[in-house]
Amino acid sequence: MASPERGAPPLLQMHGIVKQFPGVRALDGVDLDVAAGEVHCLLGQNGAGKSTLIKVLAGAHRPDAGEIRWDGRPVTFGSPHAADVTGIATIYQELDLVPGLSVAENVFLGHERARLGFTRPRELDDETRALLRRLGHPEIPPGRELGRLSAAGQQVVSMARALSRDARLIVMDEPSAVLDPEEVDNLFRVVRELTAEGVAVVYISHRLEEIRRIGDRVTVLKDGRTVARGLPAPSTPTAEVIRLMTGRTIEYVFPPRPAVPTGDPVLEVDGLGRRGEFADVSFSVRPGEVVGLAGLVGSGRSEILETVYGARKATSGSVWVQGRALRAGSVRAAVRAGMGLAPEERKSQGLLLAEPVYRNVSLPSLSRFARAGFVRGGAELAAAAAVIAQLDVRPADPTRPVRTLSGGNQQKVVLARWLLEECRVLLLDEPTRGVDVGARSEIYGLIRRLSGQGVAVVLVSSEMPEVLGLADRVLVVREGRVVYQAPAEELDEERVLDLVMEGSRV
Amino acid sequence: MPETTAGLGRRRFLAGAVGVGAGVALAACTSNEPPAAAPAPNAGAAPAGDNAEPGQPVTIGFSAPAADHGWIAAIAANAQAQAQRYQDVTFEAVNPTNDITQQIAAVETLINRRVNALVILPNDGSQLTSVGTRAMQAGIPVVNLDRIFDSPLAYRTWIGGDNYGMGVSAGNYIGTRLRDQGVTNPVIAEIAGIDSLPLTQQRSQGFQDALSSYGFSIGPRQAADFTAQGGQRVTANLLQAAPRLDAMWNHDDDQGIGVLAAIQQANRSEFFMVGGAGSANAMRAIQADDTVLKATVTYSPTMAGSAVSLARLIAQGRGMTDLVEREVPASITLASATITRENVGQYLPLGFES
Amino acid sequence: MRDLERPAEAAGTTSTAAPAVEQDRPARAGGPDTRSTLARLLDTGAGRNLGLVAVLAVLCVIGIATADTFATTSNLLTILTSASIIGVLTVGMTFVIIGGGIDLSVGKVMALASVWATTLATQSYGPAVMVFCALAVGVGCGLINGVLIAYGRVVPFIATLAMLISAQGLAERISGKRSQIVTDPTIAAIASTRVLGIPLLVYFFAAVVAVGWVVLNRTTFGRRTFAIGGNLEASRLAGIDVRRHTVLLYVVSGLCCGIAAIMIASLTTTGSSTHGTLYELDAIAAVIIGGTLLTGGRGTLVGSILGVLVFTTITNLFILNNLATEVQNIAKGLIIVAAVLFQSRAQRANP
Repeated sequence: MASPERGAPPLLQMHGIVKQFPGVRALDGVDLDVAAGEVHCLLGQNGAGKSTLIKVLAGAHRPDAGEIRWDGRPVTFGSPHAADVTGIATIYQELDLVPGLSVAENVFLGHERARLGFTRPRELDDETRALLRRLGHPEIPPGRELGRLSAAGQQVVSMARALSRDARLIVMDEPSAVLDPEEVDNLFRVVRELTAEGVAVVYISHRLEEIRRIGDRVTVLKDGRTVARGLPAPSTPTAEVIRLMTGRTIEYVFPPRPAVPTGDPVLEVDGLGRRGEFADVSFSVRPGEVVGLAGLVGSGRSEILETVYGARKATSGSVWVQGRALRAGSVRAAVRAGMGLAPEERKSQGLLLAEPVYRNVSLPSLSRFARAGFVRGGAELAAAAAVIAQLDVRPADPTRPVRTLSGGNQQKVVLARWLLEECRVLLLDEPTRGVDVGARSEIYGLIRRLSGQGVAVVLVSSEMPEVLGLADRVLVVREGRVVYQAPAEELDEERVLDLVMEGSRV
Repeated sequence: MPETTAGLGRRRFLAGAVGVGAGVALAACTSNEPPAAAPAPNAGAAPAGDNAEPGQPVTIGFSAPAADHGWIAAIAANAQAQAQRYQDVTFEAVNPTNDITQQIAAVETLINRRVNALVILPNDGSQLTSVGTRAMQAGIPVVNLDRIFDSPLAYRTWIGGDNYGMGVSAGNYIGTRLRDQGVTNPVIAEIAGIDSLPLTQQRSQGFQDALSSYGFSIGPRQAADFTAQGGQRVTANLLQAAPRLDAMWNHDDDQGIGVLAAIQQANRSEFFMVGGAGSANAMRAIQADDTVLKATVTYSPTMAGSAVSLARLIAQGRGMTDLVEREVPASITLASATITRENVGQYLPLGFES
Repeated sequence: MRDLERPAEAAGTTSTAAPAVEQDRPARAGGPDTRSTLARLLDTGAGRNLGLVAVLAVLCVIGIATADTFATTSNLLTILTSASIIGVLTVGMTFVIIGGGIDLSVGKVMALASVWATTLATQSYGPAVMVFCALAVGVGCGLINGVLIAYGRVVPFIATLAMLISAQGLAERISGKRSQIVTDPTIAAIASTRVLGIPLLVYFFAAVVAVGWVVLNRTTFGRRTFAIGGNLEASRLAGIDVRRHTVLLYVVSGLCCGIAAIMIASLTTTGSSTHGTLYELDAIAAVIIGGTLLTGGRGTLVGSILGVLVFTTITNLFILNNLATEVQNIAKGLIIVAAVLFQSRAQRANP
């Protein structure tokens, strides 16, 4: 137990850190103290400066002003290597691993144990195996190619990598985003073990309940400044934290549920299956109805959604929109029939990051703004501007590159795309992943509004309250099959969790 | 829906029909047979005299680089054509290649097949010397064609062109003609081949030496790359650099096609040009006398035919009947002839189609 | 990466908004109505390629200082004529690279088309058939490339490399490795014809660039090219038929090869399998120093054409000064690096 002793300086002290980018002051006087052996949570909305701060810590950005002390001594991290040598390891949200290398090679990437330039694979494998065992994942073979692991498995490797560095401070940027509840438990167990050994952890998450479970102290950032430091994590009220993050008090509320819609189903899925992934999925969605798919990561829910959309080719069954069967495996057919998908991986599957907002919005409906193949730029821009204004995308500049927007606003851009296309069936895969609390409720409101306009919505989310709060009807997916189906008001979180995990608890 | 399907079907059918039609039309367009079959222009001497009498049957192996140029193509064609003129010769040409190791392997195959003589135009004289030596040690006489081996042990006879002499011939023609015209301080341009090749350096040296004997020097000089495209590019730019020229020597008639194109496109005619190698195209242009090309100096691929004749004689243990010696000489350097309008008729049958 | 982007990227991104947008949109966030003509000028293709423009300017200054014939009209036209063929190929290459691919076969497909169009048989049918053959061969090769890549899932590098090799072989086979002289007077006349004092080839070049620019910046086809190059998966999920589009991109490149084949056959008065050797590398280099990302999704046609002009001007300069080829090559390499370095600096300085 290396709890901070009175008088001894904290392990890491950052004071008055300023980082200026052209046109933006990303960090404007950030203070952060982290003691050895604690879990220090870093909170803030998107754009508050969390990622920039992490990059300063990791040596990827050089601060313009401010002081960093390590063990009480002033230090500068000129490069990621310098931070590494000091004893800081970072587990990035977007995993910085090499998919083509083996697990062991990834763990020791950059500090390969080598003799005279020759790697010693067996030694690496042994050490990796020990690290993975320590992380509670002895089943991951060190020789397996990394790209073949699940997202959660890769996260574990990323952790092992940080451990292999003998780091004294580990920064974890949204480590739970890709994990199932069970794996989150496992993660927390490892974090506790680490802190017990005196390692400090800086933990970033949007999930406040996690922070309450694992965190010791909380530092809140807003607009590049520290607005609160060292709050006790378990006892600070959520409302207080949200107030600090947003400057206003918002509640984690779902818009009121309208009356359950009637009418002929617009989307009918009949016996849909895909070999090795899921089988015999049937459901239908009426105009204005929201159907939620609840399930663990890997249960097949995203695969079902993508197959309905034609992005994966069904091996059995059929999808009907307004009474017409769609050609299997054709996204174009689905889009023409009036379907739209907001994919799980927004950046890699959804957006043209370098392109301006309006071009992202008009992507599927471009030909509507074209005459004989020539784009009428004015009409396109105006239409896109109208839609993003309607969805309150901020900043409301349709010519801004999408990559400069926050996660929540990027998600709104994806939704705006389908709003402009006037789609009748909207498939949403994890619509609030990486979206901060404030923007979440806006997206909830948006989904409600769309369904109010008669759009049929199919929603996949890892967050049970989200599924229960938004959906009219919930389908529980387990191991590639729909195991339960009920109106949302007949279910509660515990019941769904129970259904979702039944069988996985032997 | 049915309407669109039909429309789509019709469109696909039309596209298919157009595709097939285009394919047929295209296939018809690959023929290169002249409409009226002209006699194959492969040069060579019909066998005559004592040497022509059939001797013991011999097999002659032949290895040359893959043709990336009309001259090399003509080498292979000439060798083949000459071999066919002899009833007592079996001609074994190995697959031409531009890869040195492959050529070595090919020659080794020929050695193992125990051919009676070898004719080799190496990709690189130095690098094929060892395999030449091996052939000689195995008792197979080697006729080394043009690009000379490093060691005389690697060949029985060398026959090749005279690059230096080519430059001299071009220089002499230009020098004489300009002196006769009474031009002082002429601007003489040179379009070389690939500068890094020794043969280009030798040609340029000969050209320079010959010109200096007239008190002239070379003005603008650029290297192209033995292709028509390179010749055109370099010449178009060079003509900009030199608003007035008196004469130009272009090392190679194949790239000369591009050189002439550039000259015509620039509408220049105040100078005369000399070519190199002696392609049939160049000769026809000289004969027609409607371009600036007034002469070409030969570096004739007919040498390949001569090499086959020599190999045959060597393999049969015969000498050249017009010479006193009983053996074929160890080295033969061809003279570079200057072909002008006056004598072009005589050379035209020897010109190679570049 | 959600909080803030790296500054260089953010700056580079601003400049990605293609010209089409810039003019449709008078005001823009940050400095709406105060944008001067200069600022607007900087936002055009040329402005965003300030580095290249500067390199070109420096080359011109050197040219004027060292060779008195450099600044003559006829020399400038020579530069443009020399640039025309590789320029046409570069237009196609720009499409392919922005769309996330690469086409190594352009030089040899052009050679094959030039050979096919100049066989004795083809020439006997007259100029229209010759032009048709060249274009059909180009389009056909592009189609094969595209189908292999889009539907056969062959990596573009390999598919087009295979095309390069086999096109070369086929060209040699058809031509018998000889240069086929163009005897047709119409085709031969293209290169020597001048309209208003400017060679016809330069008009061809300008027309291809103009059409290419319009297609890339004003049409749905161009927009989708940027989209699939920028994010293939996102484009697919947005309902774009990415495979068909990929095929079309290689067909565009093939079509450019066909046009270039007619031009080179006319310019050199031959069709030959030796045409276009290493043109693919020149074209790729021009596209890249023109600021197009090799990974696709971003780029400008104007930049690529500036790249071509830089290369051609270098060659011209060196020949005017009667310098040897090896010196040219050294300088060419250095200038490529200098242009790219300068280019990235200039972009950073003008966000």
